[in-house]
Amino acid sequence: MSESRFIKYIEGESIIHNLDPRAKIIFVFSILFSLTISLSIILLIPLLIISFLFYLLAKLPFKKTITTWKFILLIIVVLSMLNLLTISILYKHGGNVIFGIFGLAITDEMIRRAIFPVIKLLSLAIVTITLVFTTPPKLYAPALGQMYIPYKLAYIIQLAFRYIPEYIAEMQKTLEAQMARGFKPKGGKNPLAKILSIVPLIVPVTISAALSIYDIADAMELRGFGEKKNHTWYRKLNFNRKDISLIILSILIILFYILSYFYLNFPY
Amino acid sequence: MVEKREFLSVTSIVAMGIGTALYAAFNVFFNIFQLPGTQLVALRPSVAIPMFFGFVFGPIVGFVAGFLGNIISDAISWGGFWWNWDVGNGLLGLIPGLAIFLIKKEATSKSKGLILCSILSIIASIIGMGFAAYTDYIFGYGISTIEEATYALFLPAAITDAVNGAIITPILVAAYSAAVKGRARRA
Repeated sequence: MSESRFIKYIEGESIIHNLDPRAKIIFVFSILFSLTISLSIILLIPLLIISFLFYLLAKLPFKKTITTWKFILLIIVVLSMLNLLTISILYKHGGNVIFGIFGLAITDEMIRRAIFPVIKLLSLAIVTITLVFTTPPKLYAPALGQMYIPYKLAYIIQLAFRYIPEYIAEMQKTLEAQMARGFKPKGGKNPLAKILSIVPLIVPVTISAALSIYDIADAMELRGFGEKKNHTWYRKLNFNRKDISLIILSILIILFYILSYFYLNFPY
Repeated sequence: MVEKREFLSVTSIVAMGIGTALYAAFNVFFNIFQLPGTQLVALRPSVAIPMFFGFVFGPIVGFVAGFLGNIISDAISWGGFWWNWDVGNGLLGLIPGLAIFLIKKEATSKSKGLILCSILSIIASIIGMGFAAYTDYIFGYGISTIEEATYALFLPAAITDAVNGAIITPILVAAYSAAVKGRARRA
C-alpha cells in the first residue's frame, strides 16, 4: 500500500548515478533557489526542461517509477491545479476574459495563477525524485559531512534515513496485528472517532521507537561518538570533471536567475 | 559521578534522528488521507510526533524532528521542498518543548502536565501553521491575498493539526511515561 508509494534508491549505471552526491545536492538547491525567485512562467519553462533532462539522463526504468509518477501527476497537476483554479475564481483577480462557463468569466490572470505554482511544484518534484532515486541513502551523511556541515547534523540525517523504512514496515506490521484483533482503520464518519481509532496504531510504534533511543545512544557512546570535534568519513568522496561541470552549471543557473529577478520582466 | 549537561548530547542527537524518521515515516503513511478543497494539506495524525518529541526531549529535538522530518517526507513522498512549511512544522515541535520552562520534569506525566501538553499543542498548531500559511502569502507562493491564505491554508491546517495534536500527544506522553517507569535510564 504505502511502500510502493515512497521513493527509494534504484540501482543504475547512468551518468547521474555516478555523479558525486554533493554535486547533485548543489544542483538541486540551485534549481530550488531559481524556482523560488523567478516570477514569470516564461522563466520557469527552462527550469522545467532542465529538471526533466536531469531526470531523463538518469535512465530510470519506467516500471519502477510509474507509481511515483501517478502520485505526482495526481497530486500536483490535477489536485493542486483544480484547487488553485477554484481559489483564484473565488477571489476575483482582474485580467482579460478568455471564455465563460456557467456565468463565470475565466480570465488569463486566473489561469496564470493556477498554472504558475504547478510548474514550480512539478519541476521541483522532478529534480528531487531524481536525487532520491539515484543516490543511495548511505551516502547522504558522508556527502553532507564532507560539505563542511557539522558531522552531528549529518548523523541525524543518517539515522533518519536508516530508520524510515524500518518504521514504515513496523507501521504496516502493527496495522496488520491490530486488524487481526478486530481493529478497523476507518472509524465511521465522526472525525473525533476517526482520530481516536488511529491511536492503537500510533502508540505502539512511537513508544517502542522512543524507548529504543536510549539503547542506540548507549551503543553510539560506547563507540566513542561525540568525543572528538573532528570526524573522518569511511567513504571519501572525490569530485571528477563531470561533477565540477555540474556545479559550474548550477552556479550559472543561480546567477542567471538572480540577474533576471532584477532586470527581466515578462507579461506572464 | 556528576553528569555533564551538554547542549547536544548523544541522546538528544539520537532522539532527533529517531523523531525525524518517525515523523517522516508516519507522514508517508498517512499521506493517503487528503482533505478535499484544500491545498496539499493532509489530515495528519502524525503531527503528534514532533509535539511528543518536543514535550519529552526538549524544544530543539522537537524542532529538528518536525523540520527535517517534513523535508524528508516531502522529498520521498512526492519530491517537494518548501522551507516555510518545514519551519512551520519545526515550530509544531518547538513550542510544546517550551514546557520544560513552565513545569517541573516530574509533573509532565501528571494530569496537569497532560493538560499543559494539550494546550501547548494547540498553540503550536496555530503559530506553526500560521507561520507557514502567511509566509506563503508574503512570498507569493501561489497565494496572493490574505483571505486566501487564511481560508485555503491556515484554517484547515491549523484546525486539523490542533485537534490531532491536542488529542494524540497527551496519550503518547502518558503511554511513554508508563513505559519508561522501571527502566534504568530515564529521560
